[in-house]
Amino acid sequence: MTTRTRYFVIVSLLVLGVGLGTGLVAYYVGVQGIPFARHSGPEELQYIPKDATVVAFANVQEIMHSQLRQKLHHALPAQQETGQAELQNLTGINLENDVFRVVACLFADGALTDNGRGAGMVLVRGNFDETKIESLMRSHGAHVEDYKGARLIVVDANPAHDDSNARNFALTFVEPGLAAIGTADVVRKAVDLHQNGANTPPTVQSVTANDDLMAQVRTLETGNNAWAVGRFDVLTAHAHLPANVAGQIPAISWFSIGTHINGGVRGALRAETRDDEAANNLRDVVRGFLALAKLQAGSRPEFQAMMSSLQLGGQGKTVTLSFDVPAQVFDVIGAHLH
Amino acid sequence: MLWSRRSFFLGVLLGGPVLLAVALRVVSTLATSGFQVNGAPIEGSSVFGLMIWLLFIRFIVPILGVFYGTSLIADEVDDKTITYLFTRPIPRRAVLIGKYLAYLACTVLLVLPSVMLVFFLVVPTGGSSIAEAFPSLLTDFGMLTAGLAAYGAVFAFVGTRIKRPLIVGLVFAFGWEPAVLLFPGYLRRLTVAYYLQALVTHEMPQDSAVSMLLQVFREVPSVTVSLIALSVIVVAALWSAGRAVERREYVLEQ
Repeated sequence: MTTRTRYFVIVSLLVLGVGLGTGLVAYYVGVQGIPFARHSGPEELQYIPKDATVVAFANVQEIMHSQLRQKLHHALPAQQETGQAELQNLTGINLENDVFRVVACLFADGALTDNGRGAGMVLVRGNFDETKIESLMRSHGAHVEDYKGARLIVVDANPAHDDSNARNFALTFVEPGLAAIGTADVVRKAVDLHQNGANTPPTVQSVTANDDLMAQVRTLETGNNAWAVGRFDVLTAHAHLPANVAGQIPAISWFSIGTHINGGVRGALRAETRDDEAANNLRDVVRGFLALAKLQAGSRPEFQAMMSSLQLGGQGKTVTLSFDVPAQVFDVIGAHLH
Repeated sequence: MLWSRRSFFLGVLLGGPVLLAVALRVVSTLATSGFQVNGAPIEGSSVFGLMIWLLFIRFIVPILGVFYGTSLIADEVDDKTITYLFTRPIPRRAVLIGKYLAYLACTVLLVLPSVMLVFFLVVPTGGSSIAEAFPSLLTDFGMLTAGLAAYGAVFAFVGTRIKRPLIVGLVFAFGWEPAVLLFPGYLRRLTVAYYLQALVTHEMPQDSAVSMLLQVFREVPSVTVSLIALSVIVVAALWSAGRAVERREYVLEQ
């Protein structure tokens, strides 16, 4: 073996050895998630209870000032302006400027739901006139409760009907500029989580301690101004679907969608299936639909750019579908609306 | 073999994906929106999958097999050095097997580090994690090694039997195989790509109408069947090549 060949073999083995070693360390550390674990996503996640089924986020400021929104604004001027003006008159909230971002959560199972009813909460970050909102809600029959020092404005659901299963709706300002609106039980949990602060006892944990969900959130952070992630299997299990319909639904455990809204809407749908076989089946189904859709789009040039952007991907248990809905598609929709 | 005239070509062939990965990484770092294909965002692991399909499986592995597999004996004939090998007190087929193993070691040590560098440059971008994608990298290593072994054996056989093996090899790898895979039926079973592509864990890219056709008519054998078929191809091709070397009279041109 010549010296050059010896160096070649050493360098190749070195690259392979270092790469495999790094990959193995990343694999074990990443799976266990202990040493390099970090909280991701918006800070409002710390007020969402751990067992949330779906978590969603929207950067309202970016979306409201996007070119797409401007187009829709011009396409639907009358209806939108009326709705926004009504909201501003009632609550003092200007959607264009006062709401920064929204984080929402949904609970399909667990202690926060009963009798098959879901529970949910929306955390809205923005500039709010707290007094005006409280007086507005009180004028509509709401009452104020004190919960661990926090003012909860509670609306009793269906007070006219004697429905013991009715869920109360509540609003509170968890911190200045952050409103929590939703099912009263969930809002109370948000107050608990806020008051626990950094020294969270194990009895009350936020979704940031849910490693599986946070791993999904981490994949959505780059370049998206709206996203949602959740347990598909839990949602379908609580959807009370007919058996023949439920049997046709693919074995998806997690789903996520991340989108960037500006001139158009581009994003990616991601599904994590129960096993590799389920992922292959799902890919086959999606592939068939894509082929059909691409054939159909052949006669509509305005949709061709969107169809060519559809990319099926993923490996193992993961199936991804990337998409880009260009501005022209919304122009067509706008023209139809006019 | 390693320091032959093909070394420059080899460097470009395997350095290309690494340079492309560096460029993608730079672009991804500068652009906040990450990788995009036709405007749609795409994860780093999906980009890595695309590179494995388009660069390595469809191009680099077959072409390494063609260039080096066909040259195992043909180069010795062209250089008129085959006499020195065949006058050794060992069976002729042992010479061929030794050269084949040297080919396999060289190409594996060239291709796998290149894939490793591409993996670490591309996968961490766009929200993908190395931890999640690492098991599939190991599968890719196994698949690429199997591909190099199978293509190398087939083209070693071609090199021992045919006068102009390079042309035949290129026609087989880039004419016969892609064409046959497009059509439904049994002909595709007469290709290496049919079995090799069944071992790929990444989604086949939808980059052209040909890819769409490939997906529509794609019939994927199981991993076990593919591994058995590739092993049979390697053994049968090497045995046939060894037999050809034993029986053939190599006349060196003066």
